[in-house]
Amino acid sequence: MTATITPPVTSPKPDASPRPAEKRSFRQRLNTWDVKYSPYAYVAPFFILFGLVGLFPLGYTFVVSLNDWNLLTGPGEWVGLGNFQAELADPFFWNSLFNTVSIFFLSAVPQLVAAVFIAAILDRNLRAKTFWRMSVLIPYVVTPVAVTLIFSSAFSEKYGLINNILEAINLDPVMWKTDVFPSHIAIATMVNWRWTGYNALILLAAMQAVPRDIHESAALDGAGQFRRFFSITLPSIRPTMIFVIITATIGGLQIFTEPKLFNPTVSTPGGNDRQYQTTVLYLWDLAFNRQSFGKASAVAWLLFLLIVLFGVLNFLISRRIASTEARVMKKRSARALARSRAEAELTSGFVPGVAPGVGDARDEVPDVASPPPPPHPTAPDITDPTRTEENR
Amino acid sequence: MKFSRRTTAAAVTVAAIALVATGCSSSGSAAGTADDPITLTVTTFGTMGLDDLYTQYEDENPGIKIEATNIDTGGNAKTDWQTKQAAGAGLPDVQAVEEGWLSAVMQVSDQFTDLDEYGAKDISDQWVDWKVKQATDADGRIIGYGTDIGPEGLCYNRELFAAAGLPTDREEVAALFGGDDATWADYFAVGEQYHAATGKPWYDQSGFIWNAMVNQQPEGYYTSDGELNIEDNSDLKALWGELAGGAAAGLSSGQTQWDWGKGKAFTDGSFATFVCPGWMLGVVKGQVEAAGGDASTGWDFANVFPGGPANWGGTFLTVPTTSKHPKEAAALAQWLTEAKQQAAAFTVAGTFPSNIEAQSDPAVTGTNELATFFNDAPLGTILAERSKGVVAQYKGADDSVIQEQVFGPSALSLDSGTDGQEAWENAIGLLNQLVVNK
Repeated sequence: MTATITPPVTSPKPDASPRPAEKRSFRQRLNTWDVKYSPYAYVAPFFILFGLVGLFPLGYTFVVSLNDWNLLTGPGEWVGLGNFQAELADPFFWNSLFNTVSIFFLSAVPQLVAAVFIAAILDRNLRAKTFWRMSVLIPYVVTPVAVTLIFSSAFSEKYGLINNILEAINLDPVMWKTDVFPSHIAIATMVNWRWTGYNALILLAAMQAVPRDIHESAALDGAGQFRRFFSITLPSIRPTMIFVIITATIGGLQIFTEPKLFNPTVSTPGGNDRQYQTTVLYLWDLAFNRQSFGKASAVAWLLFLLIVLFGVLNFLISRRIASTEARVMKKRSARALARSRAEAELTSGFVPGVAPGVGDARDEVPDVASPPPPPHPTAPDITDPTRTEENR
Repeated sequence: MKFSRRTTAAAVTVAAIALVATGCSSSGSAAGTADDPITLTVTTFGTMGLDDLYTQYEDENPGIKIEATNIDTGGNAKTDWQTKQAAGAGLPDVQAVEEGWLSAVMQVSDQFTDLDEYGAKDISDQWVDWKVKQATDADGRIIGYGTDIGPEGLCYNRELFAAAGLPTDREEVAALFGGDDATWADYFAVGEQYHAATGKPWYDQSGFIWNAMVNQQPEGYYTSDGELNIEDNSDLKALWGELAGGAAAGLSSGQTQWDWGKGKAFTDGSFATFVCPGWMLGVVKGQVEAAGGDASTGWDFANVFPGGPANWGGTFLTVPTTSKHPKEAAALAQWLTEAKQQAAAFTVAGTFPSNIEAQSDPAVTGTNELATFFNDAPLGTILAERSKGVVAQYKGADDSVIQEQVFGPSALSLDSGTDGQEAWENAIGLLNQLVVNK
């Protein structure tokens, strides 16, 4: 066994050791190569695949975007950045961006708020937990095509369920497929219906990982349901929130199926007046109906850059929030530490160093002027140094 | 331990190399035999009624094996075809192409086999002449064999006509619109009469009417020389004026195209007439039945069409030049479009034959479930009659964009009360943005 632990070839300083003239055997060399190169082979499949289906199309799309490229007849003139210029000046491009962002906000914001609260409810001690948890995932399992078929007919203007109800209670029917804002709401509804449960489950998983004893101690300190939710649960799941927000952003900016199938028979994809033509739908229309493959590629690249921009913005904002939080935390613990030192000095002449943990534990406690800390029996347990790591 | 690790590394390396190097062997192009048959791939869409025919062809030609793909809708099939055409790979040996795609197809007509190399011209009189003209490109190459066509007749509702005091018998109805000389002006005049008597709309929406109006002109959005001709086209503008007048008079029901509230609009008397190419008859029946109606709902089919003969839709079987067996593929496409096979496809899918002989086949002219639904109208005979005199209009490269994205929204806006002149100007604005200055 020891032989395998110290293989002869891996001597750290080959120069330092007297180099023998004898040649290393093929087997030994193979062994060196194995150690040196096989890790690259292990990770290679990912990079090869990524290059093949990720990087290459991206580069190729860029090349296409520099040409006046007809989908069917192929490359025409080299136009440089002309397609980008043309698209940035095209009112339909901006219209599609407006629609995308509008639908994105109408879907992402209510969706995440609802998901957080559904997750919070699922996080509690419910009867038949698994049943409830699985049921919120059902909309996600339903294929988007089926979803859009159902919603599309519910939102139908003349005969749809929703307008029938509105008319039954003497309200004016809403032009769900003609007017800009109602159509955005209708599409956002489909997105929300499908993705809320999915996000709720991810957030639930994060909430489950928040140590229960924090909640317990907060409860013992008198923090109520809502206080604990906003001061403990939400801050603790921040990394997951950031993940969910970023994936929702990417998904939201790439929305295609819902607006495509919302009114599939309409002659212009995205509504007759392009009321709900999102950017990806616009791109698709450019490529496959108008056959401007070059311009479509330019739009694809613009969208790619936009998503990167949104992603970076999101990251910066969330990091900023996180670091502000950390600063506040530091201040709080410093204050608490100072206070406990002072108290300790008051009660006994004994200078602390004793209970650094107590200060930490009080980070969790609302920042009210609390009475001198009750000698907490569980205090030493809570003062696990990893806790502060988790909270950051 | 060490040994196994090395083998794993070797295995991974081999796998990685295998991932990159995809081997793909091609079979020889020798004539097929029963033991080593040639495989022909066929891509169709919608319901074309060819499935049984494939089996029959395989039985009769032991050297041929057919692999058929059917795509659900024409729109998806077009995307599929365009993608493969753009990639220059993956096209089948026989590709079904819809009339509406012709403007795109003709841009790359040299990518399709000239079927005349396999005798298309010798048999071209078996189809209605304009069908062959549609499939002939600028260089005179015939790139497709015609399957079905969509000659348009007029669907009307007997019950609603009776309620308005209009004749209900289909001969009389045809005469009411002016028979062979029926014009759009007649159509709108009768519509106003109907509207005055009942207060109800006359047709479902303006888009389909405009579609028929444009397609029946000798020249549509383009002149025969391929010049865009819309802005100063007085014929089109006059027709647009008539359409706008009809909508302004309340003749349009403003329905959602292809939706009709799951068919309810066909049963609740929302409109009394409807433009019906042959294949639309099945759609009407389906819509009525989806809304719980049946033959007693009163739909009938008259041998008349305002503005003269018109065609909407129809398909061709083409052989892309990428095919490895163009001869066999052309033979298959030709066989599938012969009279007997077209008649058989009609009985299965209701696709009205472009083959003249098939049009008088008892299977086509005889009665069937669809005819029963339309008050025993002689559908096959009427459609054959309606297919005479159709013109094969030149379709420019952006024809479908103009039809769908330039005039589509404007025709719809007529239904919601936009003034005709304003809607026309909007269309011209869109035209300049989407086509002229693209």
